[in-house]
Amino acid sequence: MMAGKRLNLAGAAVFVAFMAALPLVFDSRYLIGVLTVSAIYGIWAVSWDFMSGLTGRENFGHSLFIGVGAYTAGFLNTLFGVSGWWSLPAAMAVAVVFALVVGLPTLRLKGPYFALAMLSSAVIMQRLMLIFWEKTGGEEGINGIEPLIRSQLGFYYFVLGTLVALTALLLALARSHWGLVLRAIRGDEATCQAAGLNVTFYKIASLVISAACAGAGGAIYAHYQQQVSPQLFAVVTSITIITMVYVGGMASIYGPVGGAILLVLLTELLRNFGEWRLMIYSCTLILILFFLPNGLIAPTWQRIRSRLGRRR
Amino acid sequence: MSLLEVSGLDKHFGGLYAVRNVSFTLAKGEIVGILGPNGAGKTTLYNLLTGFIAADRGRIVFDGRDLRGLVPHRIARLGISRTFQLCRPFIGMTVLENVIVGALGTAGTNRADLDGRARALLASVGLAGKEQLAVDVLSYGDQRRLEIARALAAQPTLLLLDEPFAGLGSGEIADLATLIRRLHAEQGLTVMLIEHKLREFMRLVQRVIVLDFGEVIAQGTPDEVVRHPAVIEAYVGRGNEALVERPDAA
Repeated sequence: MMAGKRLNLAGAAVFVAFMAALPLVFDSRYLIGVLTVSAIYGIWAVSWDFMSGLTGRENFGHSLFIGVGAYTAGFLNTLFGVSGWWSLPAAMAVAVVFALVVGLPTLRLKGPYFALAMLSSAVIMQRLMLIFWEKTGGEEGINGIEPLIRSQLGFYYFVLGTLVALTALLLALARSHWGLVLRAIRGDEATCQAAGLNVTFYKIASLVISAACAGAGGAIYAHYQQQVSPQLFAVVTSITIITMVYVGGMASIYGPVGGAILLVLLTELLRNFGEWRLMIYSCTLILILFFLPNGLIAPTWQRIRSRLGRRR
Repeated sequence: MSLLEVSGLDKHFGGLYAVRNVSFTLAKGEIVGILGPNGAGKTTLYNLLTGFIAADRGRIVFDGRDLRGLVPHRIARLGISRTFQLCRPFIGMTVLENVIVGALGTAGTNRADLDGRARALLASVGLAGKEQLAVDVLSYGDQRRLEIARALAAQPTLLLLDEPFAGLGSGEIADLATLIRRLHAEQGLTVMLIEHKLREFMRLVQRVIVLDFGEVIAQGTPDEVVRHPAVIEAYVGRGNEALVERPDAA
């Protein structure tokens, strides 16, 4: 038990050191950019996994929280000159409001209502951004958002630090009694109720936590790209995040971080293949999901850990 | 002193009464059996008592509190715990984790040594040594034991068992009956159980309530109900000789 815990910490330390050292070894603005985006996707994937991975209530509209977070940051910064450090908590708060509006009525119900409501809310928000183009900038979105940190490397380290802190926090929650209840909800809601657990409360609270993290990620993304567009609300963003979680290993929390980084890097590596890019990307995903239904990252780490543990 | 008072309970689905004008009381520390042919409304009665479905009419008073309008988790916190007819363990979790979840809802802030309490419960139902197994690999009999351990983890005053013997062999049934007797003797637990396996059931319970088409047709000791004309009619039809095994036989 204890050895496993120490190995987990060691593994996490090696991963963080590797991610932090990469831009120092290869001094490339392009690489730092890719790594920053992959770390932001990591934040989104981890936050998706905390709610949907643990409770089994799939959220097909995570881009809703990302989009409202990004637009909140964009409006506050460009219209009112609010600095990034204040727009971050504001973006989290707005995302939480959206989580409550969608989650309160739909998470009490059985069936696909929550998944459908999330999906359609994201689509509706994307349309609204276009319909009210005079206020939102339409297809162009909002431009000229100030970066959170001027130095590109500094920004990357900030995002990496946020990702690590968030993953540690959500991992601790997932391994507490709270996480045990969320996993039990995935197993059987009626049994949880019969045990005196208020399952609706647990589901809504975990959605709120998930939304706050995704909203913060959206605001960080807005301040990184210095621009937001309705594309952020796109269904494909949500699907990409879900794919990252599957590749990383659902309900493992740390796995989706690896899944996000792997898929963002894969997308970049395949740029040279031009038109073949999507084909290779999709085939790789299908192969991973077909042969590794539990994902790639988390099961691989568990295998490495048990091998290291045995050698002692 | 009565722990549970049910009076005039009605529940209909469309034109069909699943439970009709059901009234009975349960004294603290009793073991009461619910008997009835398939579709008599036994499980519906459990669902009404635990708040999973709302009654159309009637009152349920538990420990002096009216349960009207209370949601299932509130009723569970008042001290009614139940098992389900089909085993519903939390798949993907260990045996120990399953029992801990059963305790979390009612433990409140008293969370010290949940682990130790869960292990003790597992030992008492005969699952010692299987704490770290995944529930998926448990045998059917062990899943039944786990289901009871999970229900007991909530520290109920009233335990509702829904066909706890279903799918078990006679040896396993005898073990489980011994466990229920022991819990009753040691903790003064009030137990209500639905069962079709009559032999062990009739020896276990002190009193039987018989339902048919949603209505209580007879109440009394096991000896009395098996000779009750309405019960014989419900099971074997009018005009047939009843060949019901006496509970003290076997």
